[in-house]
Amino acid sequence: MKLTEILKLVGLNLSQNKSKVILTSTGILVGSATIMLVIAIGTGGKLEVAEQFKNLNAGAIDISYEYQETGRSFGGGRGGGMEQGGAMDGGSMGGNAIGGGMSRGNMPGGGGMPDMGGGGMPDGQDMTGGFGAAQNTEKIILSTEEADALLEGVEGLSDATISYTTKSDVEGGDLEEAVSYTIAGVKENYAQMSNLTLAIGDFITEENDTYKEKTCVLGYSVAKEIFGSALDAYDESVYIDNRPYVVNGVFAEVGTVASGISPDEAIFIPYETGIKYLTGKNNVSPTITLIAENVNEVETAKEQAQTVLAQIYPNASFTVTDAGSKMEAASRSNETLTMLLAAMAVIVFIVGGIGIMNVLFVSVRERTNEIGILKAIGCSQKDILLEFLLEAACISLIGAILGVLLSLAVTPVIEQLSVRVELSVWGGMLSLVFGCVTGTVFGFYPAWKASKLVPVAALNHE
Amino acid sequence: MGQKLIEMKGINKGYKLGEEMVPVLKDVEFEVEKGEFVAILGPSGSGKSTLMNILGCMDTADSGTYFLNGEAIHEMPENRLNEIRNREIGFIFQNYQLIPTYNIMQNIIMPLLVRGMTSAEAEEKCRKTIELLGISHRLKHKPNELSGGQKQRVSIARALVGEPAILLADEPTGALDSSSGKDVLKLFEQLHGMGNTIVMITHDLNVAKHAQRIVHIIDGQLYTNTLPD
Repeated sequence: MKLTEILKLVGLNLSQNKSKVILTSTGILVGSATIMLVIAIGTGGKLEVAEQFKNLNAGAIDISYEYQETGRSFGGGRGGGMEQGGAMDGGSMGGNAIGGGMSRGNMPGGGGMPDMGGGGMPDGQDMTGGFGAAQNTEKIILSTEEADALLEGVEGLSDATISYTTKSDVEGGDLEEAVSYTIAGVKENYAQMSNLTLAIGDFITEENDTYKEKTCVLGYSVAKEIFGSALDAYDESVYIDNRPYVVNGVFAEVGTVASGISPDEAIFIPYETGIKYLTGKNNVSPTITLIAENVNEVETAKEQAQTVLAQIYPNASFTVTDAGSKMEAASRSNETLTMLLAAMAVIVFIVGGIGIMNVLFVSVRERTNEIGILKAIGCSQKDILLEFLLEAACISLIGAILGVLLSLAVTPVIEQLSVRVELSVWGGMLSLVFGCVTGTVFGFYPAWKASKLVPVAALNHE
Repeated sequence: MGQKLIEMKGINKGYKLGEEMVPVLKDVEFEVEKGEFVAILGPSGSGKSTLMNILGCMDTADSGTYFLNGEAIHEMPENRLNEIRNREIGFIFQNYQLIPTYNIMQNIIMPLLVRGMTSAEAEEKCRKTIELLGISHRLKHKPNELSGGQKQRVSIARALVGEPAILLADEPTGALDSSSGKDVLKLFEQLHGMGNTIVMITHDLNVAKHAQRIVHIIDGQLYTNTLPD
């Protein structure tokens, strides 16, 4: 039989069973839509991560210190993402940890040795406290001195800076009442190190810092909220904790960022100014940021930084994180999400495929007589197989196309839920291919069964 | 004596019923010459349908030889049998066996499509047959929109378009009222007059009488005798 004639017959059969075709293709429809969206959301997520980290320098290393008042439980209150390990973890608890704890000799009564593992750091990728469970009971405030020491003592650094954040009430501009904003105390090199560009004006200078001048640079959103726009904000004054600060500049919009200070939402003031007027000398916990020249040397730099700090403060443990591993962690979690969604799509496809298989089985049963007639007039097994297979393939193709259209229709809804969706042509192609392949694969068995029917039996089937 | 179209010798066929083998056809010898109109007459359960299926290459015998138009059917593989059914045999069934989703034209040209023709070629080829059977005004209809007699004409048209060596009719009037039945039999006589070879299976002596020759089948055995005109 000519393929074109078989296709005509397939078209005829499908057009006479429209509702069956629609119902059968629903499974494939959902599957294709899922695949398309999974790819789109996955791609969107990847771009999102890339954008969130665009102000992060991959070679950046953050160092901070968490002060713990005595009496607090071990391991608690450690910075970012560190779990309070319950059991003693021999592997991660180095000699340093024990040594550190013992030498201080002020372990709380209930503590005991096993608790030492409380700080037991799972060999975290984004966290290398390194010193295990040392107890930070000593009051340490990082300062420019340590930053300079690190810049000198660690090889391959291009720059170092120190910053801190605090919260303060802000008034001025269009604000009707005081609003609490994040205030960041920074050095003059902060903007350049964080890949931040100014929309208008200039960044804080060394002089501003030295003379503790009351100037500030606003984040883009802050400027909009207080003054309406970046332009309107420039050269105006804001009142931070009732003291006027001249707006020297406004940053360009950055968007959401993965971690640290969100530049859009913060007000930047000179480091020393903030210490003098807002935080006071003893109530601030700054972060030192180092930039490694070579991204591949970040690990070595982190180790050296620990060594340098250990020389200055032998009994303290500093939290050392690097941006590269934060990025990795973020893209890893994004990949996990994509995998999860992909697995879901596969399940949907299997369910859809089984649906197609069932309907085709019923269809073969319904059309047994027809198959018998075709056999009686000499239709070959191959032609019958082909006809049924093409029907399955067409049903799935219809489903797949509808699925792609559905995903296009659903995209705005998903975007409303603030999930980033990046539709792509190859995603659409892939979901079409997946849809057709699933339908054809699952359609094969019923089609094969149909082609194998014995003509006499098929003819006399009622 | 003319050319032998069908030559069956020592055909045996049985079906398994549980453990037992029930014989249906016993040592059947059957010959049909080109241009003959033969009726196989027998009561139900006599094995006439089984014989019909073997004649039509839809079933194979357990033993014996069968030559159709000089070809050894008993030695053929399944795919060759498809081809034989398509080229050499035109089936006419009691219940018409039309495909309900296709219209009349599509039903009629199916054997030609199976043969590899395009539908345009096939429609051209079957024009005469359609005129002969007087169904030209019904070509776009679906089978269920036609009367029994008309349906049977369609199924005869389908059997004829492939210009087969032999027409095999299984109780062709069984589902028809007597007047349409008579029309169909008249048509058979006409086709016979045009030189077609027809083998008709029936349980009705009055129907069988329209044939040139009647063969009786009883309990799987054939009894041949030629009736006077």
